[in-house]
Amino acid sequence: MNLTETLELIVLALYFLGAVLHILAMLVRGPLLRYGGQAATLLGFGLHTLDIGLYMVRYEAMALGHGPFYFSLLAWTLIIVSLVLNWRLRMHFLALTALPLALIIFSFATTLPTVEVVLPESFMGLWFGLHIGTLFFSICLLAMAASSGVVYLFLENKIKGKAKITGLSKDLPSLSLFDQVNAWAVNLGFPLFTVGLLSGFLWAHFTWERFFSWDPKEVAAIIVWLLFAFLFHQRLVNGWRGRKPAKLAIWIFALSLVSMLGINFFLETHHSFQP
Amino acid sequence: MNQSICLLGLNHRTAPVEVRERYALPDVDPREQGLIAPGSGVKEAMILSTCNRVEFLSVGREKPGMALEILRFWADFCGGNVHELQAHTYQYNNLDAVSHLFSVASSLDSMVLGEPQILGQLKQAYRRSVKQGTSGVVLNRLLHKSFSVAKRVRTETRVASNAVSISFAAVELAKRIFGDLSNQTAMLVGAGEMAELAATHLLSAGVKRLLIANRTHARGCELASRIQGEAVLFAELFERMAEADIIISSTGATQTVIQRRDVQTIMKRRRNRPMFFIDIAVPRDIDPDVNNLDNTYLYDIDDLKEVVEENLSQRKTEAAKAMVIVQEETEKFACWLRSLDLKPTILDLLASGERIARKELKKTLRRLGPKAEDPQVREALETLVLSLGHKLYHQPLDFLKRRAREEDAGTRYIDITRRMFNLDNEPPAPDAHPDRRQPKPDED
Repeated sequence: MNLTETLELIVLALYFLGAVLHILAMLVRGPLLRYGGQAATLLGFGLHTLDIGLYMVRYEAMALGHGPFYFSLLAWTLIIVSLVLNWRLRMHFLALTALPLALIIFSFATTLPTVEVVLPESFMGLWFGLHIGTLFFSICLLAMAASSGVVYLFLENKIKGKAKITGLSKDLPSLSLFDQVNAWAVNLGFPLFTVGLLSGFLWAHFTWERFFSWDPKEVAAIIVWLLFAFLFHQRLVNGWRGRKPAKLAIWIFALSLVSMLGINFFLETHHSFQP
Repeated sequence: MNQSICLLGLNHRTAPVEVRERYALPDVDPREQGLIAPGSGVKEAMILSTCNRVEFLSVGREKPGMALEILRFWADFCGGNVHELQAHTYQYNNLDAVSHLFSVASSLDSMVLGEPQILGQLKQAYRRSVKQGTSGVVLNRLLHKSFSVAKRVRTETRVASNAVSISFAAVELAKRIFGDLSNQTAMLVGAGEMAELAATHLLSAGVKRLLIANRTHARGCELASRIQGEAVLFAELFERMAEADIIISSTGATQTVIQRRDVQTIMKRRRNRPMFFIDIAVPRDIDPDVNNLDNTYLYDIDDLKEVVEENLSQRKTEAAKAMVIVQEETEKFACWLRSLDLKPTILDLLASGERIARKELKKTLRRLGPKAEDPQVREALETLVLSLGHKLYHQPLDFLKRRAREEDAGTRYIDITRRMFNLDNEPPAPDAHPDRRQPKPDED
């Protein structure tokens, strides 16, 4: 086992520990367990950053040609987004969705055979990096908004319906906090998504000499962008709050998930993960 | 056990309010009243007197008739009748008294299960007894233990969580919607007594601003100046309502005052920032349809009552869990109480000496190496250390035995000895000096 593999296993173990501790902290209501979970997550995140740094140093720009690297990067983005939101909003709840999700994504990165997706030289470069980076961040923000949206709808239903709030839902954060996650995801995620799309088109223009090629993924991305733009507009201009943006964020995330997994694996596209 | 704990008391279940009033003992010094006299048998005493209970806790030598003696004093002091008092009092002895005190401290015996005031009242009663010098070794330990039991019950069970009053339930719901209330504005529509109560709850929960709109403006102003609110003209009700996040309505109007379309316009002006309406008026002030709007929540008095009843029944199930904790802690206290006798302390002390001696013996034998093979050497060494370990404690033990024969001093010296030699293996208190809190370097 070389250094990278060991490092990745440690990161996996730490994320796992973090997830377990967070879940336990929720079940037995122990702040100490949560601190432990946060410490494990932070440590795992630090090592993960180191791992990604080493990867970049070793392969330089070629790193972007490796399939598993994307998964690792996506998991890393998810963790940093949840950490930042946790820090800004004091919302430990997000760790409950971010950690297991990151764990799954990251274990793809470590278990997938290093498929040497020999991507053309053209995949490297500023536009491509920008394309990946911004889209990853906005997808992760959307993931947080969608999971908060689900819980928001659940809790709001209870409060509106005057149902008794018992058991685990007692310890849930307030409705306004869940809505704030949505606000973050929309106000920050939409500009990032836009930059991601534009840089993708620009890059396509430079390498393939055409902006748009009716690739299924490109079409899906445009649809997602339109919905996202609608949500952004409604939140910003018409002051949407609560149920409606929560529902829409869930739909947008679901759609981008479909476009990311479904289209990549089952349809003919130049965004494919297959070599 | 030479220490006998006796608890005499009456509470809201055993005595009606007139009796509780008559036999209240708010400011009594048991020493001044001659209850702690050399011949009386009572060595330590504490009196807890609140509006729902009066309890007389005493520690002393077991003596028949002691309880009656206290009751007689109590009845005389309050100008009542012993027989009447006796009919309303309960008596718990020793461990029953301990577990009763623990459940009182944890608010398991309160009229409103889990209410937090009783712990503060108990602390106050204890402070007074310390000041009067009527608490000693046993009471000190017992009361401190009861405070920590109360804390354990509160953190490990949900007996004290969940609001059990209507206005508090409203505050809890507001927190569920808005989170922190420190940036929120509340508005009273109608300045009735219920509204005022809810407002004080909201203010103590940290609400930033309080607007008061009352039909009679003067009454609104009067309330506003009393609870630091801001009076608003009733005519400007809907103008100003847009500033408020939490609205408590309690007017005496026979028709609804706040309609769905009013709220709709207000929501537009607020850019959909959530609003929480609490309608405590009967008949209702707010159109129930308001609850169907996005980002508005409307609770009327029946909804809140349901929440409260639900919470009360939850507290009852939690109380069963809390009783288990109380029993556990009573057991622990019983162990300590038994150790206050002379015999276990002597045994513990000798055992501790022997433990140290054997540890040192082991080390020495290891260091001696092959020389230690000789059984004669071994035996001689063993006799040496063991007799040293025992003999060093000879003088302290002798001293303890002599003191134990005296009336009062025994328990105190036994307690000191136990603490001095750390026979109970207790961790240092959280507020102990930093030097003590640091773990001792291992003796090895």
